[in-house]
Amino acid sequence: MQKINRNVVLALLSLTSLVFLLFQLCYYKFYLSQKNGAAFSKVRGSQSGQDSTRWHVVRKFLGLISSHNIPVYLIDPLILGLVDKDIEQIRSSPDGPSPECKYFCAPRDFTTFALLDKTWKHEVGLFRTAEKMGFQWLKIINKDPRLDGMDDLSGMEIPLHYIFKLASHAIHLVVFYERSGNFLWHGPLRLKQHMDRKFVPFRKLHFGRYPGAYEKPELLLVSIDDLKVQIPKSPSSFLEEMSHSRFLECRYREARAFFQLYPDDASLDAVEFRKKAKSLLHLAALTLNNLGVKFWLSSGTCLGWYRQCNIIPHSKDVDLGIFIRDYKADIIPAFQKAGLPLKHKFGKVEDSLELSFQGDDVKLDIFFFYEEDDHIWNGGTQAKSGKKFKYLFPKFSLCWTEFVELKVHVPCETLQYVEANYGPEWKVPVKTWDWKSSPSNVQDNGVWPVDEWDDVIQIY
Amino acid sequence: MDEWKPNPAVKPHKKRSWYLAWKYKLMNQRALRKLCQTGAVLFLLVTVIVNIKLILDTRRAAYEEEEESAQDYDDEMLNVEVPRHPVNNKKILDVEVYSSRSKVYVAVDGTTVLEDEAREQGRGIHVIVLNQATGHVMAKRVFDTYSPHEDEAMVLFLNMVARGRILIFTIKDEGSFHLKETAKNVLKSLGSQVAPFLSWRDMWTFVGKKGGEVYGEKHAKSPALSTWGDPVLLKTEVHLTSVEDAECHWPDTELNRRRKRFCSKVEGYGSVCSCKDPTPIEFNPDPLKDNKVFDVPVAVIAGNRPNYLYRMLRSLLSAQGVNPQMITVFIDGYYEEPMDVVELFGLSGIQHTPISIKNARVSQHYKASLTATFNLFPDAKFAVVLEEDLDISVDFFSFLSQSIHLLEEDESLYCISAWNDQGYEHTAEDPSLLYRVETMPGLGWVLRKSLYKDELEPKWPTPEKLWDWDMWMRMPEQRKGRECIIPDISRSYHFGIVGLNMNGYFHEAYFKKHKFNTVPNVQLKNVESLRKDNYETEIHRLLGEAEVLDHSKNPCEDSFVPDTEGRVYVMFIRMEQEADFTTWTQLAKCLHIWDLDVRGNHKGLWRLFRKKNHFLVVGVPASPYSSKKPSSVTPIFMEPPAKEEGAAAVPAVAAAEQT
Repeated sequence: MQKINRNVVLALLSLTSLVFLLFQLCYYKFYLSQKNGAAFSKVRGSQSGQDSTRWHVVRKFLGLISSHNIPVYLIDPLILGLVDKDIEQIRSSPDGPSPECKYFCAPRDFTTFALLDKTWKHEVGLFRTAEKMGFQWLKIINKDPRLDGMDDLSGMEIPLHYIFKLASHAIHLVVFYERSGNFLWHGPLRLKQHMDRKFVPFRKLHFGRYPGAYEKPELLLVSIDDLKVQIPKSPSSFLEEMSHSRFLECRYREARAFFQLYPDDASLDAVEFRKKAKSLLHLAALTLNNLGVKFWLSSGTCLGWYRQCNIIPHSKDVDLGIFIRDYKADIIPAFQKAGLPLKHKFGKVEDSLELSFQGDDVKLDIFFFYEEDDHIWNGGTQAKSGKKFKYLFPKFSLCWTEFVELKVHVPCETLQYVEANYGPEWKVPVKTWDWKSSPSNVQDNGVWPVDEWDDVIQIY
Repeated sequence: MDEWKPNPAVKPHKKRSWYLAWKYKLMNQRALRKLCQTGAVLFLLVTVIVNIKLILDTRRAAYEEEEESAQDYDDEMLNVEVPRHPVNNKKILDVEVYSSRSKVYVAVDGTTVLEDEAREQGRGIHVIVLNQATGHVMAKRVFDTYSPHEDEAMVLFLNMVARGRILIFTIKDEGSFHLKETAKNVLKSLGSQVAPFLSWRDMWTFVGKKGGEVYGEKHAKSPALSTWGDPVLLKTEVHLTSVEDAECHWPDTELNRRRKRFCSKVEGYGSVCSCKDPTPIEFNPDPLKDNKVFDVPVAVIAGNRPNYLYRMLRSLLSAQGVNPQMITVFIDGYYEEPMDVVELFGLSGIQHTPISIKNARVSQHYKASLTATFNLFPDAKFAVVLEEDLDISVDFFSFLSQSIHLLEEDESLYCISAWNDQGYEHTAEDPSLLYRVETMPGLGWVLRKSLYKDELEPKWPTPEKLWDWDMWMRMPEQRKGRECIIPDISRSYHFGIVGLNMNGYFHEAYFKKHKFNTVPNVQLKNVESLRKDNYETEIHRLLGEAEVLDHSKNPCEDSFVPDTEGRVYVMFIRMEQEADFTTWTQLAKCLHIWDLDVRGNHKGLWRLFRKKNHFLVVGVPASPYSSKKPSSVTPIFMEPPAKEEGAAAVPAVAAAEQT
């Protein structure tokens, strides 16, 4: 009898093990597939149930915020991507009932919405109602960057992100603030020590790894999956904007330390120069933005931003960088139209192009940057000798920042950029600067052939 | 057939035999059976291993994920939560109170909460209010009852303190000279035995609960007029009550939660903290139709005068058309109590580390506040600038809404101000009337962003310059000939008595009798006539219809202006050049209006009211309106009184105020 039992027990155990193994196989597959972002997995239990959960959570959330008159708009990249494919149809039939749940049921962990700070009062009532509806919520607050640049002001911390969780789905509400450069800003999502790190898988959020800068979007009220929701008028351009929206705050604290060491020049001349440089920069930004040419702060202007969050009064010009692939022939006429005559043009599109425009007492220099495999460079030309110079920079990407009430690009890897240009001593102000020898990244690059001089050295 | 009966035992037997047969067969194949068993055991083992591996894997993956997310999203500045004050379970507080000629101090549980040994300062009765449940200091005041009227302020304050609070009194130097009967009675009602007999230079300490027991009192009599009583040190114990007993039971709403937080921290705000029927902290005034200033940010500049701020914010939030979301209070310094007041009203407040001293500190605070305002509201074209010691008229925003387009369109304007420097009870009459003036009155005004950003901010006086910001703004380099629009009847009222450039005498002489509009929804008259050129036409029209007064009479006399109503009169005074204000200053003095410097002029013309008649003063020949003077009239000249000792002090005061 005992032997029989042993056999039976063994058989039963083997059977359970087999089942268990199978289950684990499925689980593993599901887990991996989720990790790798594979959209669908047949093993995943009640697919349709999950789908409708998402839709229901979104609907509940929209109900919650509309009951408090809070205008939010959809910025979820996944859904906007889907919406964008059918945008024409959605636009043309704003009220049509939809046959299937196409967008809000798409598999994902979050749905992301945006909220303009100035359009609502930070009222507690919203959260009470949310709790009553079964939402768990998390608020992420931090310092107000709009006061960061100010000496010695300490305001209240401002809400940057909200997360509302219901069942297996969560709503990520990103708070956008208006900044002085006439753009919208959202903050990074940083958890304080006591916060629940597992509230949601934060790593999967689409917003919050870095702060971001956006243009004010035009909104469109649409009905998708039978839910009325505001979306950016052109989802595709919003998604494109989102892909390079990273924002860098100026290093205000370091700038203050700098001014402690080297007090700011408050002379009338300095005030005057800053005013002129600022208006020149505004004009240049307007002109280039109208042309759709991407540019960034370069050389002295970039150093001014990085080191002192201001224009360096003794720099005497404004420097911008543009990738040569973004070069357009109408840059020169556009600037002339804006009242900035061409002062000189060195080099040619294929090599070492550099443009200078004459503003009101202040010169605008535009350097064109050439990308190589492992570095980026721009060229310089000495007018009287036809000598060529090459300035080397490590590769960089572009980030947004706010500078003299303007939203502009700077290299994200600013320190490397500034150090390449000005050497490790960039923190010390230098009044005499020779563009041919002072930069630490300058290289001789031969001489222009004399027969090309008429073309590559043009002075007006 | 009968024999054949189904044997119930057969079936199982048969089954059993089948099983046995199978078993037997198996037994016969021992090797196979063994194999199966080993296989099963092996299989089990494998499962166990796979299981363990899987558990480890998932755990590691989960851990990694957590790690990663932690790295990405952790606040770099590890915000270590500072533990709040340890919960005080102690039921008894040790209180020490010291009173002497030159020093007072109060220590609660060994912590000094008041210490004053400064010379020539802090004379009088020091009062401290403690929370009866927590022992926290809720208010600290000193009433210089050596001087008149201070005892009244003390009575007012003590009446505002909620029942049950613990009150601590101590005298520094002298506190009885102007301590009148009423005040003594109030102290007596608190349980003091000595208060009714307090006399010259006595030292006195007292600890008691409002409306309850007395914890201790000590007194030292002054032996002679020329000497002080001996220092007294009172050591006593105070029994704390439970938190529930110390709080009111208001219905649990968002507003009351703010109220509760406020009332458990500070004292001396009266009915806002009364348990029965507390005064509201939300006002919901009528909205304005077509409000042009709804989106204009309002910067309230404040220092450490929380009671003033409280009064100011109440009036501001009661003004029609106010938008609380646009209000930011800028506090000069890390003072807690003003911030508590701001939070009570649910507004946003910003604290500012003080830079520099005196006037320069105020001036730096203004700059920081204005810059921050335009940073916080980058869309705004204007900002309303208010100060903590102003009452705001109910139609303040209505007044601005009707006039703000002028500031936007008329380049010759510098500001719109709610304050008329010359608008006293006896010289202002018409709430719908506006003026253009060459001086900048401040005290509730609107600043254009472009003016600030392009002109003022870049060259704002630096911290080492001890300049008044308003004086600086009035300088010709800044003002550049531009003018401000002001109402005849002010839309703000300056109630501050303590301040950097302020004292009781000064306030009484120059601010107390200022007229303040209390009429809601005043429709302003002919706003378009305030534009640069229109205004000249308007002035010429006025001068054209004005009756010339009898210049042989004394302009200071009441009879100078006939006993009429609603007429327009004009007088001419001597004014040799643009900056000659000799006669005007004398006239202003005798009319009891602002005479410390020249205010309210427009091209040598002043407009005010006398006996309900519009009264114009033209300076001849400097004013371009001199041509309106009939040739028969000789402009009046008034000489300044012969120079006295005190004369030199006047400009010093003139350079003061408005902050």
